[in-house]
Amino acid sequence: MVVGRLRRFSSWLWLLPAVMLVVVFVYYPVVDNIRLSFFSWNAFAPREKWVGLDNYANLLADPIFWKALFNNIAYAVVSIVIQVGGGLVLAAILEEVVTGRWKGFFRVVFFIPATISLTVTGLLFQFIYNPKIGLIDQFLVWLGHPELVHAWIGEEATAIWGIIAMSQWQSTGYVMVLFIVAMQKIPRELYEAAYIDGASRRQAFYHITVPLVREMSILMLIITISGAFLVFSEVQVMTAGGPNNASHTLGTWLYKNAFFNDQMGYAAAIGTVIFVITFAIAVIQLWWNRGKQVEY
Amino acid sequence: MGWMPWVGDPGPSPVGHRKERNVHGSGIRRVFALAVTAMMLFTACSSSATTAPTAAPANPTQAAAGTAAAGTSAAPAATAAPELSGEISILEKYSDPKYAPYWEKVVKDYMTAHPKVKIDLQAEGDQPVKDKLRVLTASGNLPDIYFSWAGDFAAKFVRGGFAADLTDAVMKTDWKNSYLPATLDALSYDGKLYAVPITLDAKVMAYNKQLFADNGVQVPSTMAQLLQVCDTLKGKGIEPIAFGNTYGWPAVHYLTQLNYYYVPAATLAKDYNPATGEFTDPGYVQALQAFADINTHCLTPKSNGITHENAQAEFLNGKAAMQYVETVEFGLLTDVNQGAPEGFADKMSFFKLPAPEGAAGDASYLEGAPDSFMVNSKTQHMDVVLDFLKYVSSKPVAAEMTQMLGWLAPVVGSASADNTFPQNIQVLDEINKAKGMAIWLDTVTQIDVANAYLNGLQAMLDGSKTPADVMKDVQAAAVKAKASVSQ
Repeated sequence: MVVGRLRRFSSWLWLLPAVMLVVVFVYYPVVDNIRLSFFSWNAFAPREKWVGLDNYANLLADPIFWKALFNNIAYAVVSIVIQVGGGLVLAAILEEVVTGRWKGFFRVVFFIPATISLTVTGLLFQFIYNPKIGLIDQFLVWLGHPELVHAWIGEEATAIWGIIAMSQWQSTGYVMVLFIVAMQKIPRELYEAAYIDGASRRQAFYHITVPLVREMSILMLIITISGAFLVFSEVQVMTAGGPNNASHTLGTWLYKNAFFNDQMGYAAAIGTVIFVITFAIAVIQLWWNRGKQVEY
Repeated sequence: MGWMPWVGDPGPSPVGHRKERNVHGSGIRRVFALAVTAMMLFTACSSSATTAPTAAPANPTQAAAGTAAAGTSAAPAATAAPELSGEISILEKYSDPKYAPYWEKVVKDYMTAHPKVKIDLQAEGDQPVKDKLRVLTASGNLPDIYFSWAGDFAAKFVRGGFAADLTDAVMKTDWKNSYLPATLDALSYDGKLYAVPITLDAKVMAYNKQLFADNGVQVPSTMAQLLQVCDTLKGKGIEPIAFGNTYGWPAVHYLTQLNYYYVPAATLAKDYNPATGEFTDPGYVQALQAFADINTHCLTPKSNGITHENAQAEFLNGKAAMQYVETVEFGLLTDVNQGAPEGFADKMSFFKLPAPEGAAGDASYLEGAPDSFMVNSKTQHMDVVLDFLKYVSSKPVAAEMTQMLGWLAPVVGSASADNTFPQNIQVLDEINKAKGMAIWLDTVTQIDVANAYLNGLQAMLDGSKTPADVMKDVQAAAVKAKASVSQ
């Protein structure tokens, strides 16, 4: 009895440090951030002023907030299609179609962008998008279409798309490698049996590969979508939200308000919105996926 | 993607303020609160790595560039003073390995001369220092001496009661004679001095003498002549002025000087003060229109997609004839070790942005501003702090900065042909001729007004706004700014 109780107690004791850390560094900040979003305050005005829901009302009336939210959604949609969809297809091609040493070669080629620091990637793409000396515009001129030349990240209409494109270039290979790992766990016999039964490669992909990497797909979806709502560095490095605030995401708009505009309460409100969105997405996806594992 | 390591921000934007009060809250909670807001972002972006921001400083206003050390010796003697003692802290923004050794040396020399004084020197990067100053301010842990840009950034500390009044110590003693007067004016708020200048920076049009001579153009002395020069150069296939505006401030730097040309200085002083700003003078729209004209005739097209640094490459390679630069960038243009092409130093000269004829403003102001040190109003060691700042402003110490970093010091007589290049000496002449310094438009104004200019000019270059549209935004921002300081 006593030993059992002690053991139960000691298991709590072992958990305590981790629980404390999570509470102090995750849950307390989340809750306090929500509290702060009801105040108007900044570093230079040491007293917080209660403003109720004003920050949220301002948020709803702020066109840049909506613009940033749209940019995040665009980021998510494109990333799902290209990173998750494209990564899956790429992985399947590398696993099933490409053979021998080319397999390793292409894996490395596609993965390399994911290993480059974002700052470096940002500078690289600033050159690629440069309207005077950039690769893309020079290529367009070479093709005989100078009218298509743009300052890709310097025009309000194209800036966010230029950043999104850079992200796809950088991250698709990363997602692909994770899919390859998942695919390698699929027993070969399933494919062999299917091919003996006359299945085409495409059919094998749809009926064997896709269902059996489902868990990885869900994980990638969660990571990609929440990643898309948390995008910060890419935008900060490439355009800092410009031109004319056209390429802000919620993350950069939060940062700008907190540390440039000195509107900490407003920034906290944006932070709460980001939290609610990503939390909701995670809950929905986990709920949707429960008990749907596929096994053959 | 979100799981990538977080990389720091080289963001160049200015910073703003809201209504400040002289009350100190509970420190720890406020630090935590600040951290919370940051965490909502940072933990979200990725907790896997916190790379220190390393991206190239985007705004040389604030992250200046200088010449590499040129074999300096002879440590200047510390000021002789009664035995001072105590421990003080300093927060500055020169952590870049190119610039850090200077401040380390100054502190070390001072401590050698004053064995009972201990100085804790903290160096940060350009952007992190803004975040750190906010966190330290909120928690009541401001260092005894801290870095500040001139303009509204400094005014926030003044309004919040965090900055010590240095008027008596500097202005009413001989100490003031150490500084170029224009630099002290730039750091005065409501007639009182709250900061001492540590560097000197001005904005001028650098040009390639050889390209000018080869194409038979003269240095323009009026705005109309400048546009003509641009047309001539363009006709010969040369890019007139290299211009990159990805981060917005390069366009704002043109407007800084143009506003002084088109709007009377007294009106500017009233409008740049958030409590009285209205921006209704017709000169403001004329200044924006002048910038639009310069853009059409002279500037690189599609400039929002080009960074200032990339544009500078065109100037250095002799493809562009001019660039509007800060004098702290001269090192990049003249020093081979910093990437300047061999012999470019001899080709490079500069002129002040030509003024339009007959405009209502005052053409004798020169764009630029000193960076500065402020003193914590709660410092326990005012005697040590003042003595240290006086030491920094002594001629040998200042001269050493010019020699080590290639930057001009705000100290009278600190630059000479012995310790710096000829262009820097000419800049000093310009500054001495100037009636006053025109502080950067994006740091002298309240943040809402600054943002309206930063965004509006980008929109103008993108073709989505006219000068009148931009001015409407600025006026709306001025209303907001007024509300923010009168709360």
